[in-house]
Amino acid sequence: MIKITNLEKTYRTEEVETVVLHALNLEVREGEFVAVMGPSGCGKSTLLNILGLLDDPNSGSFVFDNTETVGFNERRRAELRKHAIGFVFQSFNLIDELTVYENVELPLIYTGVSAAERKTRVEEVLDKMRIMHRRHHYPQQLSGGQQQRVAVARAVVNRPRLILADEPTGNLDSSNGNEVMDLLSELNEQGTTIVMVTHSEHDARYSHRIVRMLDGQTVTETILT
Amino acid sequence: MLRHYITVTLRNLLKHKLISAINLFGLTMGLTCCLLILAYILHETSYDRSPPTASRIYRVTRDFYDPNGATTLQLSAVAPVIGPLLKSDFPQIEKMAIILSGGSIVARYEDKILTQDSLAFADGNFLDLFGVRVLSGDARTALQEPRTIMLEQRTARKYFGTADPLNKELKLDGNLLCKVTGVYQGLPENSHLHPAMLISYTTLNDPSLYGEEAMRTSWSSNSFHTYLQLPATYDAAQLEAQFPAFLDRHMPQPKRAADFVPPSKMTSLQLQRLTDVHLTSHRADELEANGDITRVYIFSIIALFVLLIACINYMNLSTARAALRAKEVGVRKVIGARRSEIILQFLGESVLITALATALAVGCALLALPWLSRLAGTTLSPELLLRGPVLAGLLVLPLVVGVLSGLYPALYMSSFQPQHILKGFLKNSGGLTFRRALVVVQFVVSIGLLVGTAIVLLQVRYLQQTPLGYNREQLLTMTYPPTLTPQYEAFRQALQQQASVLNAGRSSRIPTGRLLDASDAAAVVGDSLRPTAASIKFVSIDDQFLPTYGIRLAAGRNFSPAFPTDTTGFILNASAVRMVGWDSPAAAVGQAFRYGGVMGRVVGVVEDFHFESLHQPIVPLVMFLSTVTSRSSYNLLTVKIAGANVPAALAHLESTWKQFLPEQPFAYTFLDESYNRLYEAEQRQSTLFALFAGIAIFIACLGLFGLSAFAITQRVKEIGIRKVLGASTSTIVVLLSSDFLRLVGVAALLALPLSWYLMHRWLQNFAYRIEMPWWVFPLAGLAAVLIALVTIVSQTVSVARANPVRSLRTE
Repeated sequence: MIKITNLEKTYRTEEVETVVLHALNLEVREGEFVAVMGPSGCGKSTLLNILGLLDDPNSGSFVFDNTETVGFNERRRAELRKHAIGFVFQSFNLIDELTVYENVELPLIYTGVSAAERKTRVEEVLDKMRIMHRRHHYPQQLSGGQQQRVAVARAVVNRPRLILADEPTGNLDSSNGNEVMDLLSELNEQGTTIVMVTHSEHDARYSHRIVRMLDGQTVTETILT
Repeated sequence: MLRHYITVTLRNLLKHKLISAINLFGLTMGLTCCLLILAYILHETSYDRSPPTASRIYRVTRDFYDPNGATTLQLSAVAPVIGPLLKSDFPQIEKMAIILSGGSIVARYEDKILTQDSLAFADGNFLDLFGVRVLSGDARTALQEPRTIMLEQRTARKYFGTADPLNKELKLDGNLLCKVTGVYQGLPENSHLHPAMLISYTTLNDPSLYGEEAMRTSWSSNSFHTYLQLPATYDAAQLEAQFPAFLDRHMPQPKRAADFVPPSKMTSLQLQRLTDVHLTSHRADELEANGDITRVYIFSIIALFVLLIACINYMNLSTARAALRAKEVGVRKVIGARRSEIILQFLGESVLITALATALAVGCALLALPWLSRLAGTTLSPELLLRGPVLAGLLVLPLVVGVLSGLYPALYMSSFQPQHILKGFLKNSGGLTFRRALVVVQFVVSIGLLVGTAIVLLQVRYLQQTPLGYNREQLLTMTYPPTLTPQYEAFRQALQQQASVLNAGRSSRIPTGRLLDASDAAAVVGDSLRPTAASIKFVSIDDQFLPTYGIRLAAGRNFSPAFPTDTTGFILNASAVRMVGWDSPAAAVGQAFRYGGVMGRVVGVVEDFHFESLHQPIVPLVMFLSTVTSRSSYNLLTVKIAGANVPAALAHLESTWKQFLPEQPFAYTFLDESYNRLYEAEQRQSTLFALFAGIAIFIACLGLFGLSAFAITQRVKEIGIRKVLGASTSTIVVLLSSDFLRLVGVAALLALPLSWYLMHRWLQNFAYRIEMPWWVFPLAGLAAVLIALVTIVSQTVSVARANPVRSLRTE
């Protein structure tokens, strides 16, 4: 599903040039659950942004579903993102002015799903995430665990084939964290490919394969199952 | 999608109440100002559209030139011969109508005696051309016979109540008996003339009025407002081009060939579009006070300025607040929104807010309209704003203003990169320069309006306080009926029997009026009698006129019954003496002088005084007694009363009047009221100027308030750290305030030369004006800085005083 070869990413400011990703190679198969680990600044998040088409590499290739995405314009990136990719963030990133229901509904609005179908699908996913009873609340009124469940619901409501998770449990206590990890595992079992960046060895064990990075390169791979 | 956007907009509005209120309030104020001024403009530009062929009707006007070709007089009316001659010479003229304003007279029906304004002479052509609706009587014949009269509906009710006025008789000015032959509906309020009574034009052939001979041949009684209707596709300039030849063909030539000058070198005729009369015509003898196109421009510009300031508030506050919505933008982009969709969302938001403001503004404008009408001295009806095109415009307005004020914030916010925002790095320095520039623009406009207000107010005060060369206090003026002349001495003595009446004088015109009468003048300079270089205006006065007004003599003496030769005596003003070329007022006294064919001597010279308004320079003036030879009559009486007991003086005046003039209603005007009316336009302008300047500054300060409030919340942590490190409250206030104050300072530097230039030009409209008051400029700048300072400091102080531990903990 994902094939990255010789990826380079450099950030430049006026005085310094920082190499973030250097000759990086990575392959993720359909249905896989991959955890990316490594110390701060090793390039994990940049990798995730490139996978999510939020950022561009300086060189190298990123093939998604047999299509080279490097050089896509804004419109094609947005298309691919809204149909195929869901995001889960450490800080949830829910829109404060929208209710739980409306936050989850948002991706469906952008893909142009009809109102009736939106209702069915949002309720279905809220139900699945066990947050249905909170659908009229605003994010500020929820606990961290609940917020992250809403964020996961929003990530999956469009039935993406790939979920990118950036330290999804980083802001949660362990019981809420476990709950979110269980949800991700469950999604993965149902066929969704997941790439997760994490600092937590505990969370990483939910995955099939742990990729460790250092200084912009993958250094080791551990296959768990 | 739309519903989603509306929901988000409304929730954001409610969440940030202060900023939403500032935005909504500012936009509402700005739009209200625009709507009010729109109503004013629509009213001013709607004049004289009611005649069915309005666009093809022209008014004939006349100019006069001195031998050097300089224009000496511009009249809105022409001589009685001109209309009929034009009609017979030029077949392309489809219709021609003449109306002669009769001013105010005394009208009597049975025992009802009333002073009647807006009397006019006209015939059926006038009714036809102006599309006057005749309510009773026959439009074709009602004004055919001499001594017939048609009444405007309200006038008819005034005299006859509900009774049918047809065939009843009204007695005008004590001797002219007219039969009522019809009633008509008055011309709309937005017309440049509103005759209340129309006497048949043929009545003027009566020898006691103009006489048949004069009506047929006079080229000099230029009081006849003459209107032509031209064919739809005809170019009026073509007709105008033939007027000089027309004048040379018809005007009487001087008897001596040596004096021959083609009449077209001394006078000319012009065509003026009927629909242009109200806004562009400022000629002498206009039927009513006209509007002024420059005033319309000035107020349009001010309205746009106020709206601009409100739009800038929106731009500034939205971009400043962008950080608060950055996460939303990031999330939307991550989920798959394109930039264009985000731009559309934010534009939609500003359009929605503007639509809300527009709805509020329509309400406010309708409420404020009667009040503005009073302030502007016109009648602005709500219908002006409720017409189809205006309503359609109101639907488009939010779109235009919304996009205008929302575009920059939308472009700015949609440019956020999600990968940065969602990690929490947001540099909000973007747009800062732009925001600063906008604040400068707001204050340039505000300070400019402040300077404008101050200078307009100072000029108006100057007009009211400038020494006029006569004393305008406690002077009563009234129409002088010629019938009083035989008993005038007895009347005056009866008046002055009581100490409350100090003096009374008669004249053909009075100060605060215009000087429009002139005749040929010649004076002895050296040893020959030579015509004067430029024209000299005249006023006929009696021997009590100068003392009544307190006009001072510079040399010689006043007229006096002790000198029988005074019937050919002249009193000049100092300007006339200078123009003639005599060395001094004293040197002029005793010199031979010929005026209007009468040969005589200069008996006195008065110091210059402001006969006309201060818009006009003092012109050379000659005064003489009304005699058979001078052919000028007294039209007005001025009575000087003691200030101590005005009611007693008035009562005495009235009883004396009734005793001598039982047929004549007693009506008077205080001269200083007439004087104040001269500057009413400027008065109003200054009030409106002050109002709009106030609104502009208020909205600009609201914006500054919002902006500084926002800047402070962003810097709470910085303030905390500074305080922990030992900064005092005052240094923090200075730190937070100086940023914004610098901007206001820059605005002041830009605004001052700009407003200096504009106000310098405005002052050129006055022949007598204040020196440019230099101190107004630093004062206006300082005032703006102070207002801004109060706005900002009111917020910074509480933040600067707060315990830093709290702000650091909340971070």
